[in-house]
Amino acid sequence: MNTERWLVILLCAGGTFLIRALPLMWTRRHLAKQQSDAANTLPTWLGLLGPLMIAAMFGVSLVPVRHDWIGALATVAGCLATLLSWYRSRTLGKPVFIGVVVFGLVTFGLNQIVHSVVA
Amino acid sequence: MDNPTSRSSLPPWLQGMRDAMPLLGGYIPVAISFGLIATQANFSVWEATAISALIYAGASQFLMVAMLASGASLWLVVLMTLLINARHVVYAPNLTPLLPPGRRWIALMHGLTDQIFALALHRLPSVSEDARLGWYTGAALLAWFSWIAGTALGAVAGASLTHQWPLLGEVMPFALPALFLVLIAPRFTSPLWFIVLATTIGAALLLTLLQFTNAAIPAAAATGALAYYALSTLNTQKGADHEH
Repeated sequence: MNTERWLVILLCAGGTFLIRALPLMWTRRHLAKQQSDAANTLPTWLGLLGPLMIAAMFGVSLVPVRHDWIGALATVAGCLATLLSWYRSRTLGKPVFIGVVVFGLVTFGLNQIVHSVVA
Repeated sequence: MDNPTSRSSLPPWLQGMRDAMPLLGGYIPVAISFGLIATQANFSVWEATAISALIYAGASQFLMVAMLASGASLWLVVLMTLLINARHVVYAPNLTPLLPPGRRWIALMHGLTDQIFALALHRLPSVSEDARLGWYTGAALLAWFSWIAGTALGAVAGASLTHQWPLLGEVMPFALPALFLVLIAPRFTSPLWFIVLATTIGAALLLTLLQFTNAAIPAAAATGALAYYALSTLNTQKGADHEH
């Protein structure tokens, strides 16, 4: 069984690497060919996919670990805090940090309220 | 937008690591969960860590471990794992125009995860061309090592960690949506992009809530692309009607 497991691991690893690396080589070849034709561009749909994939990842990651109203409220609060911080600072790290802190505080605060009401 | 290479005197690889720091909040808790789940499915610490080091693709790793533990056909496991990772096929072509020539980039594509792609697409245009290899290497290596270390930690001590700090596993993963939000926010530049991005986000959220998590990213991106082309065509037609 162990040998079979390692075979699967290696095949999946090799396949995943090829999925990531081969398109780089193909696109470089494509661009090099186009450069000789004086038109160094990618197809429009491909450039469009970049931001759309990031937007899709955002949508997928929005579903919190806990699937209840506390998770939903904390997600909304965290997103608003992140957005507000980004709008003011236009940086990467600080808005993420503030978003996580607000998400954590709202989760913790609402947890405490629920526990005190139940008790 | 701030320029990562001009705002500090850090070497490019260190700047890349600094820019990738927000990823750790999302990577480490998920990697700990993976290590824990893998050992619970009778994988050794070494096997769990090797999966994270060699495959390095979150969702597909969870599926692979679950399928192997349930005794699924080995070829089916390989096929399903690669199908989930197939979305990565569009990442390198999007980055290619930003990458200076060099063979090292091919090996570095091992680190091209969803998050590193998003970060690189956002950051590389503002990094000077000669610093891009260093920047990407630093960012990708930090993310990779954190994934491997998180898995090993989860495999060795995941159960006691999640028992001791249950809230941490709930809170830290919010770093990922927060990071994606910061990366996508500058793209809301026009009503067209606002509608297209909102459609994509909504579709991805809905598909995930309906448990189609693995199909959600490519399907939502395709929905967004359809919305873009439909609205662009509509705008062009409106413009032509006004001219007549």
